Amino acid sequence: MSVAHTQPLTMAPPELLREVHFDDEMETKISELLKRYPTKQAALLPVLWLCQEKWGWLSSGVLKAIADRLDLSPAFVEGVTTFYTMYHTEPTGKYLVQVCTTLSCQLCGASGLVEHLKERFGIDFGETTPDGRFTLLGVQCLGACGEGPVVQINNDYYTRLTVETLDQILDELPE
Amino acid sequence: MEPILLKAEHEKNSRALTTYLNRGGYSALKKALIMNPEDIREEVKKSGLRGRGGAGFPTGVKWGFVPQDSPKPKYLICNADESEPGTFKDRKLIHTDPHMLIEGIIISSYAINAYTAYIYIRGEFYEEAQILEKAIAEAYKKHYLGKNILKTGYDLDVYVHRGAGAYICGEETALMESIEGKRGQPRVKPPFPAVVGLFGCPTVINNVETLACVPHIIERGADWFASIGRPRNTGPKLFCVSGHVNRPGVYELPLGVTYREIIEEHCGGVRDGKKLKGFIPGGSSAPVLPASAIDIKADFDSVAEAGSMFGSGALIVLDETTDMVWLLENLLTFYTHESCGQCTPCREGGHWALEIVRRIRRGYGRPEDLETLERISRFASQGMTLCPLGDAFCGPITGVLKHFRGEFEAAIAKAKPLPKKKLPVLPVRSGRGTFGM
Amino acid sequence: MVSVTIDGHEVQVPEGTNVLEAAKKAGITIPHYCYHPGLRVVGQCRVCLVEIEGMPKLATACSTQVRDGMNILTHSERVDEARGAVLEFLLANHPLDCPVCDQAGECYLQDYAFDFGLDTTHMVDEKRRYPERERRMLGPHIVQNQNRCIHCTRCIRFTQEISETHDLTMKARGNHQYIDTFNGEPYENPWSACAADVCPVGALTVKEFRFRARVWRLDDTPSVCPGCSIGCNITIGHRNGIVYRFVPRENAEINGWWMCDYGRFLSEQLNGREIEKPLIRSGDRLAAAPWPDALNELAKIIGDGNGVRVIASANLSNEALYLAKKLFVEKLGAEVLVPSETGPERAIKNGHRDWIRSRDPHPNTDGARLLGLNTGDTSALQDFLITSAGPVVILDATAHPLLASEEIVQAIKNQPVIAIAGKHTPVTRAARIVLPAASWLETEGTYTSSTGRVQRAERGAHPKDEAKPSWEILALMARLFGMEGGPFTRPQQIFEELAAEVPAFAGITYRRLANEPGVPVLEEVAHVG
Repeated sequence: MSVAHTQPLTMAPPELLREVHFDDEMETKISELLKRYPTKQAALLPVLWLCQEKWGWLSSGVLKAIADRLDLSPAFVEGVTTFYTMYHTEPTGKYLVQVCTTLSCQLCGASGLVEHLKERFGIDFGETTPDGRFTLLGVQCLGACGEGPVVQINNDYYTRLTVETLDQILDELPE
Repeated sequence: MEPILLKAEHEKNSRALTTYLNRGGYSALKKALIMNPEDIREEVKKSGLRGRGGAGFPTGVKWGFVPQDSPKPKYLICNADESEPGTFKDRKLIHTDPHMLIEGIIISSYAINAYTAYIYIRGEFYEEAQILEKAIAEAYKKHYLGKNILKTGYDLDVYVHRGAGAYICGEETALMESIEGKRGQPRVKPPFPAVVGLFGCPTVINNVETLACVPHIIERGADWFASIGRPRNTGPKLFCVSGHVNRPGVYELPLGVTYREIIEEHCGGVRDGKKLKGFIPGGSSAPVLPASAIDIKADFDSVAEAGSMFGSGALIVLDETTDMVWLLENLLTFYTHESCGQCTPCREGGHWALEIVRRIRRGYGRPEDLETLERISRFASQGMTLCPLGDAFCGPITGVLKHFRGEFEAAIAKAKPLPKKKLPVLPVRSGRGTFGM
Repeated sequence: MVSVTIDGHEVQVPEGTNVLEAAKKAGITIPHYCYHPGLRVVGQCRVCLVEIEGMPKLATACSTQVRDGMNILTHSERVDEARGAVLEFLLANHPLDCPVCDQAGECYLQDYAFDFGLDTTHMVDEKRRYPERERRMLGPHIVQNQNRCIHCTRCIRFTQEISETHDLTMKARGNHQYIDTFNGEPYENPWSACAADVCPVGALTVKEFRFRARVWRLDDTPSVCPGCSIGCNITIGHRNGIVYRFVPRENAEINGWWMCDYGRFLSEQLNGREIEKPLIRSGDRLAAAPWPDALNELAKIIGDGNGVRVIASANLSNEALYLAKKLFVEKLGAEVLVPSETGPERAIKNGHRDWIRSRDPHPNTDGARLLGLNTGDTSALQDFLITSAGPVVILDATAHPLLASEEIVQAIKNQPVIAIAGKHTPVTRAARIVLPAASWLETEGTYTSSTGRVQRAERGAHPKDEAKPSWEILALMARLFGMEGGPFTRPQQIFEELAAEVPAFAGITYRRLANEPGVPVLEEVAHVG
């Protein structure tokens, strides 16, 4: 696949997320999620996803609001959030470029992609380009080993990549 | 062998309910719902179906552990966390035939008297989660799910629960913790999930592929299923082939096919005409086997006899250029990153082993390092750890040291003495959601 | 009950006991870090591995329940090897900064490494460090050094299961996980320092105690917390008469393994006595005098007891209060009041995970009541003092905050006041006679908790000056006024008489006090929660 089909993420500014209240729309969604489980706590991961989709990242204000809503302690919520690598407690770029660095993708040339991306963006893993467009992450196995090398941009998988096809995709990504 | 699980692989619009129904979909469900749950359990037991997630435990036996007299609700969990490096069959199944999985979930839930089922899918599988959500919605609409399914009086709700980036959540007790909204840390066993599982209730956790087999067993009978493969290793199996082969991908083959057939016939041989150096037969935690093992049969028992593990059936092919020190570093990086951190041998031992291998690769190996690696792998496996992740990172160590020890010795022979100045400290993971390697 | 064999010793234990506790009963210590009898079992440190006949793998003693006929080995080649390996794993990243670590002397890593560990390490690589968390105030009382943490999660479980404040958590995961609070906010709750108690290593230490003393140089005296009526069991750590710390002492019926920060940090108040000798007023000032002179002066003031009002104290032991009653009420016919008051709520969770709460800031109000002394609240005390015309005897200047108010001192300034105290307060400054009181550490006594349990606090040191414990001062007075019984030379002797005389204390002996988790008084129903 060489056609970029990924939409950019929008990051809510930190000052907006210092103190968070769920509006009616969020409340409705949270109530729907709560119906799926016998405990409120069980809705934590889905609610974290919901909030990250809405605001782009999970500030401590967001975590506090979630804790209050689900009757959990904020420390517990933060402990859970930081256990999982896909929750972001700091704003990221518009595009999260996540390169699989595990064995099968590496056997198929992922390290070449890594070097290329680091050079293209001028940043290392875990960093964001100065224009805030790209955050480069080295991630572990994405579960698409037969189609390596794989790069996940935001939610989308791009497979069997070469430096050329990856460049093309990155160039095509909307503003 | 006729394709069973991947029957729809090349069919257009194969995910839609209509095409599934055209293929005879949901007829097994109709048959099952007029059967006694106990008879379904018996049929699955008779089929010899063994769990496709990696451990190979007989599915019917697992279902039998659920105390049917328990007054508590019972849960079925479909494990779609698919995160063992080299494994990508469940993703393929979901992409190809999500309704087959859902039908399997309904029949299995009915068999254990569960009224709620969760599909735990890894967070990275966003598209796959959406495919499942869509298929579930279709199934509700046609009364394959919900209240009074097909007017039989049986109720079942199925929910998709997304993980968020943690290999360990593929371990069944960590998975349950994760559904319960906690850090994905494995629980102490016993009690076993069948008795005290999700929300403290009896729970069965089955892999995607395992559940996808169930409608076929009901539809065509246990004897038919058991006739595929070899005794004790029955049924079709999805083999995931990756690495240095010409045609990587998912192949549906009977258990007991040889690795030579898989690599040479189905996958078109080693890439670029290179020679085979070795292969990892069952996901990256399985000890690597040398090229000379190519004629062993790909099934649970044969691979175990050869000193490795059949696991999830994920075959990673390594050509002659593969640097085994590099390979071990790569895999230990993975397992160290994925250690939940709660128990000592895995948390400390895994990282220590990685540091040693990194040092060897940087040219500062010491002769005693190999002994230390062996010592770590001995004391971080075999019940020393709380969950099998200890065994998972020790498998690669024992495999490479058994079959490719020479490469390590050569690297150490060329090594410089440890510098007086300290080696730079490796970056500490910040605890934020991102990871810089 | 089931019967198990541990290292060849057969023991009977209740069904459901884990192997670790069963071994304890057989007198065998199985090393452990994450296991704590007061916390949920997590089985994660892996150091308590044992060999059980018939099991192919080693099993963790904390998470394995005994079964009848089980044959357990806590020492075998396999066990010792595995345990040595786990200790080596734990030490691989542990900074070997033991000489400057405040946990030294009570560090389980050090102890078990000595007992079960290897004499060498295979680790040559860089150790893990948490540069921002090497010496950090986690909260007002707790210092964190994350480098030393062995990730046993006892502190986290304490805040989840005991304090229920849920303020500590593990962040990140794997080899680099660390203990922290939400958003790095201060770790602050009424029991916060217990997190350091449960920490088996020096990762969490108590700020107030750090580097003040090496623990092996401290003397430990079993005592009871003076901070409220709950009566948490404590160990006083002291040396040369100076108190360095209070730590909780296990008592399943009262405080489990815990104590509150308020009680813990009262320890400092036991030091720095200001009144070292008896004082007698001479004009404007109080002058030191020998005990006989002070007692003679006291005898003159009290005379035949007519018009004397005595303020006793719910801080005093049963023995002191018993003598006070016998002397002042029964012998001299004086009026005696034990002031009571309502303070901030204190709470502790007992070993059965029930909360015990109290708003009574004195350790022996129930004892006073059971001995038949009158108790009275602040306004009763005020009336008692204001309407008095004769001598006022204050058996404990800290019996009530009102005694420190200038207004009260003004109200009784023209009457002769006799006060027993360790430190000066407005009332001692205005007194005719001040007698030096020994500190809590220097006083042996029994106290009756709010849940009706009589508990003994031992004496850890003799006063270096002329101060005396209140029971002894009262015994001297008793002799002075020719009270029957005695002479009383030991608290035990007073307690035995008390137990024989006062129905509520019937059947309680020193031996029982030593062997039971506090002995319930009769006619009293424990009101837990």
